[in-house]
Amino acid sequence: MSFLKIKGVRKVFTKDRHQEVIALDGLSFVCNEGEFLCIVGPTGCGKTTLLRLIAGLEPPTEGKITMNGQIISGINKQATLVFQQYSLFPWRNVIDNIAFSLEVKSINKERRYLRARELIELVGLSGFERAFPYELSGGMQQRVAIVRALAYDPGLLLLDEPFGALDERTRHHLQEELLSIWERERKTILFVTHNIDEAVFLASRILVMRDRPGRIEEEIKVNLPRPRDRMSEEFIDLHIRIREILERILSECERRQDV
Amino acid sequence: MIKTILLGLILPLMILLVWEGFAIKVDNPALLPRVEAVFDRLIHPFANLLDTGSFVDHILTSAVRVIIGFLIAALIGIPLGLLVGRFVIFHRIFSPIIEILRPLCPIAWIPFAMVIFKTYTIADIFGVHYSTSIFGQIQLGMLFVIFYGGFFPIFLNTVHGVSSVRNIFIESALLLGATPRQLFSKVILPSSSPAILTGIRVGLGISWMVIIAAEMLPGSDAGIGYLIIFSYELAEMDILIASMILIGLVGALLSYGVKVIADRTSKWQAEER
Repeated sequence: MSFLKIKGVRKVFTKDRHQEVIALDGLSFVCNEGEFLCIVGPTGCGKTTLLRLIAGLEPPTEGKITMNGQIISGINKQATLVFQQYSLFPWRNVIDNIAFSLEVKSINKERRYLRARELIELVGLSGFERAFPYELSGGMQQRVAIVRALAYDPGLLLLDEPFGALDERTRHHLQEELLSIWERERKTILFVTHNIDEAVFLASRILVMRDRPGRIEEEIKVNLPRPRDRMSEEFIDLHIRIREILERILSECERRQDV
Repeated sequence: MIKTILLGLILPLMILLVWEGFAIKVDNPALLPRVEAVFDRLIHPFANLLDTGSFVDHILTSAVRVIIGFLIAALIGIPLGLLVGRFVIFHRIFSPIIEILRPLCPIAWIPFAMVIFKTYTIADIFGVHYSTSIFGQIQLGMLFVIFYGGFFPIFLNTVHGVSSVRNIFIESALLLGATPRQLFSKVILPSSSPAILTGIRVGLGISWMVIIAAEMLPGSDAGIGYLIIFSYELAEMDILIASMILIGLVGALLSYGVKVIADRTSKWQAEER
């Protein structure tokens, strides 16, 4: 069942009055319920813009974004976004950050802390309930950001390079945690990254995006069994295939700039 | 800890030493009294001075004036700052007039305030003339000047705090289901509270500074500023200097009190840097 539909989306930003930048153009794809969809593309291809449009933080210039048949206008209540940069509220401790969405729904303290503690346990942060964001490492902060989004219980979880700033070991660890969350909670996840390895490891389907203007270049189904082995031949083949697509996109782009 | 205190004491002790040296040399208490004469005044805070009341009476009168004027400044400055910092339309309406009024030193308003408000007091407003209560000592002109001194730091810091709330916090909150009202109370207010508290601290300091100047003008027969002028006229230098020391001490105490509260509520911000 197609759950999220992006159809002919164009997004133009006006820079210093007259200069227009086309971030996205003719972008179409669907995301199915329960899917782990990764979008890979070169830096600056409009991946973040795309997520912001789906989250309803900005309207598309042209085209339509629908979720469960409803056109998105204003904040998308069925989705939430985990940002690339650290976005935890620095004046709230871990448990109150996670419980934020429950607090705004006026769920009583006892019940929202119960749920928040479950989520804290899910990402192995028990004992850090009262810690403030500045007391946590980058990896811990992103764990909290992810479960804070989960507490909102969105139909669709949008992640914008959430592990981009982390070292490789921490990143691998968090990727595994995210997969186990996805399997347990049966969420639909739309994950944006420029890291090919990350996409191949996580996704059930990968969309490769091109830049200037941003649109979908190629779709790749990933049928590798889980847990995936980064050293397996199929994994490496897929990695190389995506790398070649990206290299082609980049060289085409450079050629166009030379003209 | 002890080392910090000792280091902080070096300069005050040196000043006392130099002062005492000069005082002995001058040998005229109407020009420069001895340290122990001033000290003797300070250790008797309840003693009636020059038939006007004690140090404690004068300080209290000044403090009540400052508290009332300052509270009015905070009650107007904080909400107005929240509006101006958050909504462009309010910013456009208020910023020109504020930019013009801001450079005007509150002391410049004292003569104006004296003309407009004359010597009316809070007691007069409530129709209680010849009141012996403290409200008979709270002149409207002084309140205006204190308000003016306290308002700008509170207002400007609040505007700064609200307009520098990071966008990512606002968007995160909206995406987690916050309504506009919750956005205000759960994100914008806590995020800008350190800046607001800085404004309160600076504003309170300026209010206190300004009251002393305001009390030096006619229309009042109480307050620590009045006491300074009165003891000057009677050449009572020991009372004059003791009053100045008290003003400094009370000002430092006020600032320290707000700082303690501020540090507790904005620990996260200090640690973030």
